[in-house]
Amino acid sequence: MSAATHESGAALLAGSFGAGFAWAFARDLTIAWRHPGETLLVVAFFVLVASLFPLGVGAEAQLLERIGPGVIWVCALLAAFLSLPALFASDHADGSLEQMALSPHPMASWVSGKIAAHWATSGLPLAVLSPLLGLQYGLDADTLAVLALALLIGTPVLSLLGAACTALTLGARGGGMLLALLALPLFVPVLIFGAGAAQAQASGLSALPHLSLLGAGLIVAAMSLPIAVCAAVRVALD
Amino acid sequence: MSHAFYLWMSYGATAIAVIVEIAALRARRARALRMIEEERDIEAED
Amino acid sequence: MNWFYFSSPATFYRLAGAMAPWFFALAAILAGIGLYFGFVVAPTDAQQGEVYRIIFIHVPAAWISMFLYLVMASYGAMSLTFNTRLAAMMARAIAPTGAMFTFVALWTGAFWGRPTWGTYWVWDARITSELVLLFLYLGFIALANAFEDPRRGDRAGAILSLIGVVNLPIIYFSVQWWNTLHQGSSVSLRGTSMHAAMLTGMMVMALAFWMYSIATSLVRVRAVILERERRSAWVRQLR
Repeated sequence: MSAATHESGAALLAGSFGAGFAWAFARDLTIAWRHPGETLLVVAFFVLVASLFPLGVGAEAQLLERIGPGVIWVCALLAAFLSLPALFASDHADGSLEQMALSPHPMASWVSGKIAAHWATSGLPLAVLSPLLGLQYGLDADTLAVLALALLIGTPVLSLLGAACTALTLGARGGGMLLALLALPLFVPVLIFGAGAAQAQASGLSALPHLSLLGAGLIVAAMSLPIAVCAAVRVALD
Repeated sequence: MSHAFYLWMSYGATAIAVIVEIAALRARRARALRMIEEERDIEAED
Repeated sequence: MNWFYFSSPATFYRLAGAMAPWFFALAAILAGIGLYFGFVVAPTDAQQGEVYRIIFIHVPAAWISMFLYLVMASYGAMSLTFNTRLAAMMARAIAPTGAMFTFVALWTGAFWGRPTWGTYWVWDARITSELVLLFLYLGFIALANAFEDPRRGDRAGAILSLIGVVNLPIIYFSVQWWNTLHQGSSVSLRGTSMHAAMLTGMMVMALAFWMYSIATSLVRVRAVILERERRSAWVRQLR
């Protein structure tokens, strides 16, 4: 047998990070594409709750402009949080999660792929839609841009943190409330820097420090949290 | 509100927290021992 | 001496029972000394009068609440690394005391804030971080108790506490970035702008709280051991 065939044969058996990631990402995206209801619900929730705040606090333009970035971020937090159980629940229920754990690809790879797909169907649409909501709150163009960018960088961190909490609570009593108690405190720094970025821009200051911190947070989270998610999934499957 | 009120509320709450914690610990231990007694009695009946 | 001798719940049960009273006694003595420094030696504050003496509870409680979380997470790491039951039980034993001190820090902070800053609740960096810490403790307790299988709860809780311990400085940093109403840290390693007696009082109270925490954790872990190991022979032969 030639060396080339021997190598590729070994690679097929070993599995790789890229292959595992791509496989899980494509799979989950396909499932979401076939059942668009979930993604649309996340978006609808986001818009609905963001529209509730002016009804609650009054439509005074200055007030709305001040609270806009924070409110939109909190709505993004809640929407991202509500879509978390779907990440592992159905796979755990029908046994696919156990099957995936047996895959030759490293667990961190397909876990990351699932998280990335989750973000693509929750955080990403929210970031893209945020300028529209920002207009409802009377935010100016620069602030809208920074807000969208901050959401783009921050929501993956939410997906990563949320995935760890979701994996930890698989099959636990207490359901969504337990997940909220675990995830929302961990979301606090993302909220602070994300909303802070837009608020800084709105007050004429530079949003760069906030965005840099968010970016750094994303890198650290992407490197470290998949390991925690893997550990949690293994605990759940034992 | 005099300053004494705030001092009492603070130190008082701490004292109560400590008392409650210790009471809860004793209750937990008593409950555990009672459970063991009951299970021992059930096994003795067999 | 074989230290692993004490890593079995059976032997640690007796050791903890013997040690606990001593730690309670130490805590009481240190508290007495601390309060002596706090109320007799430390002078009246120029600006705040007598009400500042709340710091002899508030600051040590806050320190201990953060310290206990660190210890809890360390036990969690130990339980995951060595797959021992006892380390996980110790983590569970520490959590309620940690939550208690976090609550005390928040409560005393509120009653210190009212006369000095005008409001019971202030959204300043440290108090807000303490609030988040309280939720981290409650989350740990809830998660560890959310499963039929206690070992599953042990492991999930351990992972959660490790995520939490890494996030805690980040949360603290972020909240500090977000707001600073709290007085700039007047207790630092470089030197302090506080009266020496005030600092001594706080340190001694912190030690008292620490000894108290060890005592309660030892008592609580004995209860946990009894609950978890009640089917085993040595528990049956107790008393």
